[in-house]
Amino acid sequence: MTRIDKLTVGEQLPVFERKGTIEHWNRFAAVNDEFAAHHWDYAVSEEEGFPAPFAMAPLQLAFFHALLRDWMGDDGRIVSVSAKLRGPFFKDQLLTASGKITAVVRVEDEIVVDLELAQVDETDRSIAIGVARVALNSLVEVDG
Amino acid sequence: MAESSERDSPKTGSLLAESLVTDEMRSIVGAVMRESLSHPVAIADIRKWAIAVYYPETPPRQFWDEAYANTTQFGCMVAPEEFNPFAWSTARPLLTDPKVSQTAFSENELGVKPPEYKAILLTEIREQYGRVRIRAGDAIRSVVRISEYFERDGRMGRMLYTTLSNEWHNQSDEWIRTTESVFVRY
Repeated sequence: MTRIDKLTVGEQLPVFERKGTIEHWNRFAAVNDEFAAHHWDYAVSEEEGFPAPFAMAPLQLAFFHALLRDWMGDDGRIVSVSAKLRGPFFKDQLLTASGKITAVVRVEDEIVVDLELAQVDETDRSIAIGVARVALNSLVEVDG
Repeated sequence: MAESSERDSPKTGSLLAESLVTDEMRSIVGAVMRESLSHPVAIADIRKWAIAVYYPETPPRQFWDEAYANTTQFGCMVAPEEFNPFAWSTARPLLTDPKVSQTAFSENELGVKPPEYKAILLTEIREQYGRVRIRAGDAIRSVVRISEYFERDGRMGRMLYTTLSNEWHNQSDEWIRTTESVFVRY
């Protein structure tokens, strides 16, 4: 655990990883009612110019949220998250989401932290980049 | 999904003559395209969302253990920030009304003919969250507008980008979230 008053610019968050599996994407499709065929059908994804089915963008965005939550714990809050999707997260690839602190500012009783975010696959191909802002209760600790 | 080089080269000048954006389409920028009201959120909805996102790992306890959630800063179970309460069925529109997707869109919803395209993909999402979280029992109102059109040429030819703005408030008119989603059609 890291004391919150010791957070520094450049500090890396523990990564969040997930394999691209139909078992996982089916579950997300079910809760988000998101059943575009390019998420499971090779013929459809190839017709659209891709070599394999790929994950839902909202799931990729949820992974950034999970990365932040895993680090912050229950006492932080997510203020904003933005993501540019650079390339698809293809089936059977391993996604690794990472974050790096770019700014730390105290605002009243909270520590506001800005972060750069990234997602890559197992070939180190960029899948998404983004930024986030979170606010942490100044009395708690974070995972790190 | 667009390559970064495509994202950085908006087209201007003579290529505007080939624009996919019609005058009719321009006329609906800023207009309310869609209003939805969710059913009251159930704790089971929150649990299932978190389980689906974190699969195959166990999600954070605050999203599935009600007794534990009662001890957190919120005093009850709240939904993950990215939770979608509009999936499958809404209080408005009714299930018997024409279906509108929460993860795609069409100008047809405002009576305007959309351009022809083979594929539609979400390329960028920008989320902002308020301090108020979604709790069990909340009914969330969503208002969606097209806020911008722009075009670029990429490896799949002319690509039309459309930014949708989606604002969420709860039943007490407290701001929950604003999402800007950038879709590309080609």
